[in-house]
Amino acid sequence: MKLNLTPYFFILPALILIIIFVLYPISATISLSFLSPEGYFVGFDNYIRVLSRREVINYDGILKGYFPMGAIVHNAIWILIHLPLSTLLGLVLAVLLQNVKGSSIIKSIIFLGMVTPLIVGGIIIRFTFDREVGVVNMFLKAIGLGHLVRTWTMYPDTALFSLILGSVWLWTGFSLILYSAGLAMIPKEYYEAAKIDGASSMQIFFRITLPLLKPVTTTVVTMTLLWELKIFDIVYVATYGGPGGASNVLALLMYFLAFRSLDFNASSVIATLLTALTLIVAIVMFKYVVRK
Amino acid sequence: MTRTEILLVTTLLIVIISTGAIIAQLQSMVATLSAKLDEISQKLEAIEAIKEKVGEIPATITVIGPWAGPEMDAFMPVLERFERMTGIKVIYKIYRAEDLATILPAQFEANSTPGDVIFMWGWFIVEQAKKGHVVDVTDLINEADFLPGALDAVKLNGRIYGGVWTGKVKPGFWYRKSFFNKYNLTVPETWDEFVNLLEQIKGIEGIKAPIVTGDGVGWPISDVVEHFLITYGGPQLQRDLIAGKVKWTDPEVRQIFEERIVPLLRKGYFSEPIEWTTALELWWKGDYALYFMGSWITGMVEDPSDLGVFSLPGNKGLVFAPDYFFIPVYTKNLEAAKEFFKFLCSAEAQRLQVAQGGHLATNVNVPLDAYPPVDREVAKLLVGKEVLSDLDDSIGGEFQPTFWDQLKLLWVNPDALDSVLEALQEKAPKG
Repeated sequence: MKLNLTPYFFILPALILIIIFVLYPISATISLSFLSPEGYFVGFDNYIRVLSRREVINYDGILKGYFPMGAIVHNAIWILIHLPLSTLLGLVLAVLLQNVKGSSIIKSIIFLGMVTPLIVGGIIIRFTFDREVGVVNMFLKAIGLGHLVRTWTMYPDTALFSLILGSVWLWTGFSLILYSAGLAMIPKEYYEAAKIDGASSMQIFFRITLPLLKPVTTTVVTMTLLWELKIFDIVYVATYGGPGGASNVLALLMYFLAFRSLDFNASSVIATLLTALTLIVAIVMFKYVVRK
Repeated sequence: MTRTEILLVTTLLIVIISTGAIIAQLQSMVATLSAKLDEISQKLEAIEAIKEKVGEIPATITVIGPWAGPEMDAFMPVLERFERMTGIKVIYKIYRAEDLATILPAQFEANSTPGDVIFMWGWFIVEQAKKGHVVDVTDLINEADFLPGALDAVKLNGRIYGGVWTGKVKPGFWYRKSFFNKYNLTVPETWDEFVNLLEQIKGIEGIKAPIVTGDGVGWPISDVVEHFLITYGGPQLQRDLIAGKVKWTDPEVRQIFEERIVPLLRKGYFSEPIEWTTALELWWKGDYALYFMGSWITGMVEDPSDLGVFSLPGNKGLVFAPDYFFIPVYTKNLEAAKEFFKFLCSAEAQRLQVAQGGHLATNVNVPLDAYPPVDREVAKLLVGKEVLSDLDDSIGGEFQPTFWDQLKLLWVNPDALDSVLEALQEKAPKG
């Protein structure tokens, strides 16, 4: 059999770059997570040490229902709230704005959150929930709920939720744009045929629009999930993981371990866990998309 | 096998062997060339070093510091004077310590450095010195020229690995004299008077809280707490906590929190943590009456002559937080970097800096008349008091962000005192 080497030749430059800048760092990080600071193999010692920290999982907080519950739980809460909220909001807005004149302007405004650097986004979130200058508190005062006014990012029971809500604003533009593109791809004839057959708007939405948007939904969910897992910037500038670790997340903890404790082995453990989690999500979603 | 095939295989073999030989030859040539280049580059470096020494060509050094805006403007005269004196050009780059903490470890592991002289946390300099990344400067500095203990934070096994620049003192609660005059308020002499003052201020119309709490990832609160610990536990308690000789869960420490800090928090005398520059504006315009801040505040208000400050009654020690700097061993301009290091350690350089306001010298040879009037008042506050290192800056590492973070929690939830102290003890140094 004749072996055609030409395709391999073309992928070689990309492959070399991937090996140097992706595969090597990943394998080096994984290997670091199994070594002591002196470079000796220590098996899963680093993993046990890191996973037994209450910054990672705080069983007391989980059982008694107070924050901090640990970075892993905070990431999970982030996913549980942010993923459905930003996905649904994007979908609803895309459908509502589908045939509205001048909707591109509204979409652009919503998309601004997406193009805002996350560091800036974090600062905006911090001020949004501020007692003195925050728009949230101004709104509360305006609707007669002045007694609720406070700096929401400063309290352990509300800090994480404030960040999550802020991040919904930042990320909704992404799902909105993808869903808008997806809606534009659906042939008009389907809707016309459905209307002729007497289908209601709800039926059209659930029987035509939603099923045909499945590939878009998969992409939105995958990208959002990956973004949530590696969330860092917003938390770093808005709360620094506080108060009392109440809004700490895995990526920030990884940063603290690496650059405050200078414990690169422990930090590599978190990095490896994050890589594993994102890989699982990516593989599952990729398989799903390919199968479809 | 046909003749043609034998010929082809033979040709192929010859080609392979020849190619191998050519590659080997090329490798050898590259190796020789590279060795020659190394040799030439070493010679050039040596020539440049000699030229630098004899002053033929001025060296250029890169200095990394955290100051930007007005603070950088105040530092520039120092660099300009050095350039004029030595002919060595200085490039100043701004990096926050938090950012340097992410950059330097990797750079040092790769035997390189982004700067020739770098301003950084004392604890970080010592950590890097342990790994051999920092130039030993014991012979470049005369410890007797500095405030007692000022260099302790950059010492390792009796050797000195960094210099100490000017610093800022954290004297206590700042107030506007005009505000105190307007409402007939007086500086408290006892704890009871202090609490009465807070109660009096709370009753003033338009006041949101007597004391505004600054927040900047948490450090302003840590300064407040340190002041309480030093005042009611004594200066030695601060040193013992830094050394890990006293636990955060110790009854003495707990008592200070429980009897002095927590009651004030419960009564709402402190505001919620507010971003510290915003807090400064709100305090200045009269929403709050007192602000615990460092001496740099004198350079941040419209009218420094309206500023007054008092420590907690009975206070015997003040935190003095200087900036530290060091030379990485990977500098390619070691001689020039050493010259700059020596200049920074001189009274002349510090005199230039303190004249700009907001700084206090660590070099004892800087005269009092070098300060602007308002800073002279702050410098006088130090008289008769022990000068102490900043607690979280001295410990550094994971303790520092934990300290800031847990105190923010305490500020909004005073009932969490026990868990806060436990969390602090978990990360504190074990003496």
